[in-house]
Amino acid sequence: MNFDINTLVYILEITVGGLLVGIGVHFVPVGGAPAAMAQATGIGTGTVQLAAGSGLTGLLSAGLMMSVTDNIWLIIATGAVGAMIMIDATMLTGSWIYAYAVGAPFASAKVNYDPFTGFSQPPYIGPGTVGQGIPTVCYISGTIGAAMGGIGGAMIYYPLVQVNNNPAMSAVFAIGIFLVSAVLASWNIQGTIEGFHDPKFKKWPGAFKACAVASIILAIVAVIITPIGGV
Amino acid sequence: MDAFGMGLVAAIGALATVAGASEDIESDIGSQSNPNSQVQLAAQVGNPHRIYNKAIAGEPPSNALWCTTAAIMAYMLIEAFKTPALFAIVAGASLAALFVGVMATSAYFGRSASQARFNQWIYLDIVRYTTPSIMAHVWITSFCITTIAYLQVYVLTPHHPFPIPVIALIWGLTVGAIGSSVGDIHYGGEREFQWRLFGQGLNTMLSGQIVRKAEAGLRNSIDNAWFCAKFGGPATGMGFGLTVFLDSWRTTVFDPITQAPYAIAMGLFFIITMNLYNLYMEISTRRKYGPYPGYKGDISA
Repeated sequence: MNFDINTLVYILEITVGGLLVGIGVHFVPVGGAPAAMAQATGIGTGTVQLAAGSGLTGLLSAGLMMSVTDNIWLIIATGAVGAMIMIDATMLTGSWIYAYAVGAPFASAKVNYDPFTGFSQPPYIGPGTVGQGIPTVCYISGTIGAAMGGIGGAMIYYPLVQVNNNPAMSAVFAIGIFLVSAVLASWNIQGTIEGFHDPKFKKWPGAFKACAVASIILAIVAVIITPIGGV
Repeated sequence: MDAFGMGLVAAIGALATVAGASEDIESDIGSQSNPNSQVQLAAQVGNPHRIYNKAIAGEPPSNALWCTTAAIMAYMLIEAFKTPALFAIVAGASLAALFVGVMATSAYFGRSASQARFNQWIYLDIVRYTTPSIMAHVWITSFCITTIAYLQVYVLTPHHPFPIPVIALIWGLTVGAIGSSVGDIHYGGEREFQWRLFGQGLNTMLSGQIVRKAEAGLRNSIDNAWFCAKFGGPATGMGFGLTVFLDSWRTTVFDPITQAPYAIAMGLFFIITMNLYNLYMEISTRRKYGPYPGYKGDISA
């Protein structure tokens, strides 16, 4: 293969994509199993799973867009929008259940007042729990996180298709790189996070460094290996 | 935009809704959902139970595996043997259901046997009549998702560049993520976890105190499905249906070749609308339910 300036640009794009996924995971409000019991604020599932679900939905949209255009901005924007639609639909239907089945008001345990709406939070936190539901600040944070995941997925996918012209193989590689970054970030989060207002969010530089190292290695492997071992 | 394309997008949305609902009910029958942490703890705090427990993997990876299994078989039959699509998808979904039957049974035996020291029994009658309902729901989920992938790749224009198994992998992961984010909350509100006042989460002190008795006899996983099919399953279906439908709709109404910016703007419009709807729900629940009575802090409601 020719190792030219384009190859370096591809490696850089994949690395930035991996970093965006790693940081984006920190924005997604996940409460894990406690949230499913209305014991904690956020979405009742694991970090990696939700980030992967939304980011890869964005990857599907980006893949469709890339089959008809080469404009990287359109591809990235479509990926971000696809991911945001997925996470917003998920949080919205989850909110239905918190509001109409569990019957609990939405409250965050990490701030006294919601930074967007100014609503007071502590009086609405159920006794013996650390908040419940998805208040506005978590919803917006989740939307931002999904956008970063979608952009990251599209930025990993775009150069891979340029290298090997094979959407299927590029998609599988992109899913792999995406999951590596998401898992590294979720170790940093240690289970649950409410979004950018959570004190745990300040730990993001740790995930940034880990994702940078992992993404560079994976980017080099992905760019070099596909023309050699691929079709 | 053409009428045929719009009809296909509607069909894809309907299939996604069914897939989401069946995925959630399947995970509730097998207690693979997040509230299973309580079921897992129950025997250890002195409450052996008759709940089917197959939670050996999260919902997203396991659903991705089942849907991909179905899709690979369908893809192979369609591409290599030129089998009619419907037959190929049915055969794929049946294979996935058989896989799940094996995994669910071994997971139940393993989970229950590991708690033998806490007096947890293995109930063979539970295995006999709960496993087939799990397999049936997996059949529905993987059939719907493989059909969505087939329609996206071969019928809907522009054709999706990914092959059927990759699309099924991604949609399987997504349906699992939505099922575990949305449906689990309703399963967490089920009578099994009702040692609490209505309108608040489970107090952490009461972890593992699950409800094991019904009006007559002992409760089992089929009772959970009966409850979750009322709201948790349909809400999950709505979540996945909205995701698939809105995402496909905007690229069908607006041609991605000439009108891509409009498709993106339409997506942004949906996102803003959903944000506002959640804000409305937050305001409405705060007004209707009010603050918790026992609150003694300084911050006023």
